[in-house]
Amino acid sequence: MPALAAAAAPYSGHHQCTAREKHLSMQFRSKRSARLNSQRRPRCRLQVSICQSRPSNDSVVGVDDDDALDDLLNKYGKVVYQGGDLKKPSEEAEDDAESLSFAVALAKVANDVKAADIRVLFVKPLVYWTRFFIIVTAFSRPQIDAIGSRIRDIAKKQFTRTASGDTKPNSWTLLDFGDVVVHIFLPPQRAFYNLEEFYGNATLIELPFDNSLSG
Amino acid sequence: MIQPQTLLNVVDNSGAQELMCIRIKGTGNHRYAHIGDIIVAVIKEAVPNMPLERSEVIRAVIVRTCKEPKRDNGMIIRYDDNAAVIIDQEGNPKGTRIFGAIARELRQLNFTKIVSLAPEVL
Repeated sequence: MPALAAAAAPYSGHHQCTAREKHLSMQFRSKRSARLNSQRRPRCRLQVSICQSRPSNDSVVGVDDDDALDDLLNKYGKVVYQGGDLKKPSEEAEDDAESLSFAVALAKVANDVKAADIRVLFVKPLVYWTRFFIIVTAFSRPQIDAIGSRIRDIAKKQFTRTASGDTKPNSWTLLDFGDVVVHIFLPPQRAFYNLEEFYGNATLIELPFDNSLSG
Repeated sequence: MIQPQTLLNVVDNSGAQELMCIRIKGTGNHRYAHIGDIIVAVIKEAVPNMPLERSEVIRAVIVRTCKEPKRDNGMIIRYDDNAAVIIDQEGNPKGTRIFGAIARELRQLNFTKIVSLAPEVL
């Protein structure tokens, strides 16, 4: 700022009185501001030093991160699994087993109400938001209603769970129990949406009852 | 922030390509629709030889908005486009597949059918 004021001083000399006064006042102002700035300067320097120190720190950390990432990449390949809030594998397996028993119980109920072509898919490796899909065909809307209400009753009585999703029978009725999602289709809708093909990579769960008579 | 006259992309294989919002359902006198809201829309552009045609009035669910939704944990998601999925009166999607990523808010709003047809859920 003093350098700026010095540059302004010779410039003001070439002008007329009024202009000169203005310039002087400006100069005075600039000098005052310069003084103010000079008083603040130590703080500024501190800020500058902090500012300068930050990127260097960052770059050091970044290099460290890169090295660490490279090490992890060499160790585990391109997919790095991070711990943190993840559950232990044993707990995870227990949860899966619980969901599996629930899913199989629901499939059994559907089989009791003569639902056809029951498939239980383990979709947890494909989507994060649920574990099991139960895909079921029913042949009429009253049957869809029967399957839906039976599944709801059993889930409420035996497992104390309630479903969100469709409340009225629909050509594609969906019951969402969180980790188990039940899809009840009419045959044309089942062929139309073709969910089994979309989740073709999911593993099919073997069911304990005879499901062969379904078409 | 979808309001009447907003143009939206259709991100399913129903045959429509572009929609214009003409009414927001279920919000009373609210001005804007966000992710998970049902709108009434008119098809502005459609693929030839498909069941849906231009100038048909349909219902659609908004699945992506340029205006970012905010979650309770502070996370915000901003998409590049305004996108919708066409549904029928019962809430079943008209198409069989959905393209691109969608937000998990749709599941809480009882659009699990759309979520289960989507390739990626954020």
